[in-house]
Amino acid sequence: MSAISTMTEGLDARTTGQRLVNQWLASLGTARERGQPVAYVFVMGNAIEILRAFGFEMVFPEINSLQTGVRKAAPDFIAQAEDFGFSPDVCSYVKADVGLMLSNMQHPSGVQMPVPDLAVASSLCNVYIKWAEIWERRFGTPAFVLDIPGKRFATWKSPAGSPQHLADARWVEGQFRDLIARCEQITGKKFDSDRLAEVEAHVNEMIRLWIEILAFNQHRPAPYNSMLDGLTYMGVLNAWRGTLEGVEYMRLLHAEIAGKVARGEGRVPHERFRLVFSGTPCYVNMRRLIELFESHGGVFAASDYLTYAAGGLDSAGLFYDTSRPLESLAEVTTLASQMGLSNHFFSHHALAQQMKDFAADGIVYHGIKSCRTVATSMADNREYVTTKHGMPTLYIESDLIDPRYWSDAQIKNRVDAFFELLEQRRNLQSIQER
Amino acid sequence: MEYVAGIDVGSTQAKGVILDERGNLVSKAIIDMETNMGAAAEEIFQRVLASANLEASAIVFTVATGYGRYRVTFGDLQVTEISCHARGALAEFPWTRTVLDIGGQDTKAIRIGDSGEVIDFAMNDKCAAGTGRFLGAASFALEMPLSELGPLALQSTRPVRITTTCTVFAETEIIGHLAKGHLPEDVLMGMHHSIATRCASLVRRVGLAPEVTFSGGVSRNQAMVVLLQEVLGVPLNVSAQAQFMGAIGAALYALDHVRAGRRPEHLVKEGAR
Repeated sequence: MSAISTMTEGLDARTTGQRLVNQWLASLGTARERGQPVAYVFVMGNAIEILRAFGFEMVFPEINSLQTGVRKAAPDFIAQAEDFGFSPDVCSYVKADVGLMLSNMQHPSGVQMPVPDLAVASSLCNVYIKWAEIWERRFGTPAFVLDIPGKRFATWKSPAGSPQHLADARWVEGQFRDLIARCEQITGKKFDSDRLAEVEAHVNEMIRLWIEILAFNQHRPAPYNSMLDGLTYMGVLNAWRGTLEGVEYMRLLHAEIAGKVARGEGRVPHERFRLVFSGTPCYVNMRRLIELFESHGGVFAASDYLTYAAGGLDSAGLFYDTSRPLESLAEVTTLASQMGLSNHFFSHHALAQQMKDFAADGIVYHGIKSCRTVATSMADNREYVTTKHGMPTLYIESDLIDPRYWSDAQIKNRVDAFFELLEQRRNLQSIQER
Repeated sequence: MEYVAGIDVGSTQAKGVILDERGNLVSKAIIDMETNMGAAAEEIFQRVLASANLEASAIVFTVATGYGRYRVTFGDLQVTEISCHARGALAEFPWTRTVLDIGGQDTKAIRIGDSGEVIDFAMNDKCAAGTGRFLGAASFALEMPLSELGPLALQSTRPVRITTTCTVFAETEIIGHLAKGHLPEDVLMGMHHSIATRCASLVRRVGLAPEVTFSGGVSRNQAMVVLLQEVLGVPLNVSAQAQFMGAIGAALYALDHVRAGRRPEHLVKEGAR
């Protein structure tokens, strides 16, 4: 019997997922005792497969920071960073991480977070690079920045195997080779191509299942809420990517959701409206936000977040060719990053497609006060889906984890008004159809 | 004769109206808000009843709106002020396609479709800049009643350019300009202009479509009407009942239910979530 099935007997996939995330967090605190090197990585463009092949323990500072929000400890950490001199406008994830550094790495989960031996950032978010600089200065950690070519324009296509795709992939592959040399230097180990292939095989299976899990929510009623249950599922996908435990979890999750679909079980008892969530969650109040929507029978059937924050692997439609692991890693990373980023840059077509695939009644945009990159394109994106597709939209604003930007009465008012608008629209449609 | 009530519990004032079964306005009342929203709602309800010379039992359906709508314990249904203001504006100006409502702490722009449905809305976010509160700060700084601000501003010949719309800093901004020797009317006109510009931006966000109806307490300020017409480039509908648009809209929703044969006892009571 496997480790996962032993620990999860009788538990649902969400509870199991939460346990796995906690188990992974706890394991970070004992990495040094196990003699494991530690790498800090981000959820997008991270080359985890290479790092895992070298035996690195992976710390995701973004997940550390969001966990300070979930555990209601973010204000203290953010305040420490602001006392140090960081502006209120700086990414609250970064500030929570700085607060962690100023708290002697004592994370609110109870874990003594290890300092990194290596930090891998990428060009997929410019804050990543500045964040890695902080670690380099504070810990003396060598930072390695991957420059992954993005989409050139909205309708730009670079199909798998096309000359453009292969040229981009070669550029990325060269950087991976540099990264491997760096990892050999830090760990004192030789690169093991077979081990990389083994990790990739696990990722392939996880992503294959993840794609189907996302598609299950096209069913009506949607079996899970993308922005509540989905966040836990994705947490496991990220933290356990490329591991046997990760594969087992995805199988368990897949079977559970498939069962719900077969039985017609929905996340919301009486699903009335299907929505798409665009943007990043407000981890500090996500449960409350979902409650506001679900009380009106609204479910987030889909979210672009579940794609880009999972590295975009599901959107690339490519799997690793384990017979040539490094080349294939570069090819998939390039395409996955470009496709995943289509949720950030030139995103309107992708969002319109998601809206159709999931039969959405509306789109909810969540602007982030401390992330101007995410929020910058929302106004014109919103205008596009409204005018071109007649899709009702709601724009709300708070933050990733900074509770100062959450105004409950204002957000509730907007959500209530949005559902009144959706009701009026539905009533009107039914009158017109008569 | 049966009657319906609309109660609008806002951030600075509570408003109430009673309509008869034909939709005629029977009575209205307005009071300044107290800390206890529930008590304010009860008081406004008693006032409209007294003004109409009616007993509470004559009211067959009550809809509550505004931020305090869930504190209206006798309300049968809660509807947001977005829907209510749209409904109230349409009742008086049927060709309304855009509503601008400037209240005490909230400014909202609402776009209405050809069938009278709300198709989009935008509100000020977490900040009272560009709301009535900004004028309240001016009234305090100049030691002048709110009702005199607009007429005085209209006497301005050389409006001062005001760069901030921050309500917190409004007072120091005003004092600073007066200290430099600017006339109160010029400072006031500058303040009105900065609010109008900010509110016009909210209107453009939902897509300006005529006719535009201006509601809320600030619509009684003539200088704001003049400036908004200038900035938006369209004439504005302003009702004599502009402050009561939300309450009237709420009462009209109540009337819909009565006309459809739905009574309060048919509803599942909803608490504040």
